Amino acid sequence: MILLSTIRVLKFAAQDFFRNFWLSLVTVTILILSLFSINFIIVVGVISQTAITAVEDKIDLNLYLIPDAGEDDIAALKSELERLDGVKDVSYISKAQALEAFQSKHQANQSIQDALREVGKNPLSASLIVEARELNNYTAIIDSLNNLSKHAVIESQNFDDHKTLLKTMSAITARTRQVGILVSLIFVAVTILVVFNAVRIAIYTHQKEIRIMKLVGASNWFIRAPFLAEAIFYALAGTLVIIVIFYPFLQLLQPYLGAFFNAESLNIIAYFNHNFITIFGIEFLAACLINTLASLLAVGKYMKV
Amino acid sequence: MIVFENVTKLYPPNIKALDEFSLEVKPGEFVSVVGQSGTGKTTMVRALIGEERVSSGKIKIGDWDITRLRQREVPYLRRQIGVIFQDFKLLPSKTLFENVAFAMQVCGHLPSKINTIVPQVLKLVGLEKKIHRYPQEVSGGEQQRVVIARSLVHHPKILLADEPTGNLDSINAADIVNLLEKINKFGTTVILVTHNKDIVNSLRRRVVTVDAGRVISDQKVGKYIL
Repeated sequence: MILLSTIRVLKFAAQDFFRNFWLSLVTVTILILSLFSINFIIVVGVISQTAITAVEDKIDLNLYLIPDAGEDDIAALKSELERLDGVKDVSYISKAQALEAFQSKHQANQSIQDALREVGKNPLSASLIVEARELNNYTAIIDSLNNLSKHAVIESQNFDDHKTLLKTMSAITARTRQVGILVSLIFVAVTILVVFNAVRIAIYTHQKEIRIMKLVGASNWFIRAPFLAEAIFYALAGTLVIIVIFYPFLQLLQPYLGAFFNAESLNIIAYFNHNFITIFGIEFLAACLINTLASLLAVGKYMKV
Repeated sequence: MIVFENVTKLYPPNIKALDEFSLEVKPGEFVSVVGQSGTGKTTMVRALIGEERVSSGKIKIGDWDITRLRQREVPYLRRQIGVIFQDFKLLPSKTLFENVAFAMQVCGHLPSKINTIVPQVLKLVGLEKKIHRYPQEVSGGEQQRVVIARSLVHHPKILLADEPTGNLDSINAADIVNLLEKINKFGTTVILVTHNKDIVNSLRRRVVTVDAGRVISDQKVGKYIL
């Protein structure tokens, strides 16, 4: 009997969903905008994380050494650096390795190759490259390295700009996330109001049925349930549509992201595929929760059973 | 047995719709409750089906004190009482069969039971040949018959008819009253609320006259006295 009643509740809810089609369309559209903004925040988050990782990979805290630095001095400095908090690894690049890497990097640039030949000797210094465990550790390491800079074997250093870059990146990421959350919260609030209004109108248009149901002894649950089920239909429709429209959006975005970063390091479609259940499942459950809450408010306020 | 015991219903600011209203109706009786508009007849009906909470007094059906009903118990009360109102309250998008079946569907009855009972009650009210018509395709009297059929699907012990002939001509009104008498003969208690003098006088049944929320006359075989 419970199954039969549930089927009837779902049937009544579905009938109402399609009878008030334009109202349902507007409600679902607002829900889609909410979900789109939330998914957009996820995309921004993934891009930020990829960008930070890329910067982490590219940040070299280089300490260039004087040309006649002795092996023992270099080893002592290296072990001193390795003992610093947050340092993951310290690698030594000899003058020859530095030249080889430089030539390889600029092999297509004939004028640089000509200039190196003109100089006639290796103009590059040996260096120690410091790698941090995490991005957050760089600031502390840079401070420690500044204290070390008076060390006898250190000729120069090149890490001043990194601090600014990291600060700027963190600030942009945080601000983007804040704006995204604010926009999402606005859409969630609008969704609650729109669903509340949709259920209120549905109750109004069903006054006669509700009155008959009450007169013939339908349970309070049975009278209220179709309006709650309808709110869940909105959530289901909104989630299905966002899946259908968000993937083409990601496909449009992917070439630009692939070109900017590296196609292998950031595949946003693969990310959504991998986390499909988590992302869209949670969004569906959250939409159900919000819509049910709005529907309960409307039913409680406008339907006395 | 239905018992109203000193029932008072106050509406803000201080309007007494029922004022120490007392009445007893025995099982299987046919009682006409008469009175002019605004004397508390409909408030009495609404209190009996749990739509209105009374301010004081008791209403009992058998041993069941319905003035102390919890909200979730109200539907069970309403399945014991068939209710017919002046406005027909049929759903225009449903056929006569579907309108009656709707009352059973929303109470969780199985389709097999619905398909058995609905044709029976529609036959009882004489509409077995029009079950697939829509309300707007039949007369006002026939629409009221459908409402009566709908009120019978739960086999109620009590049938409350609040001005059931108010929108009908005299011939259709007489048909509806005949139908109520027929239902009463099956053992159902019928309370007919009306201000139709001709109907009340032709019935020659118990007549309770209400004025200003009180019973001012209760005649075993009565006439419309106002």
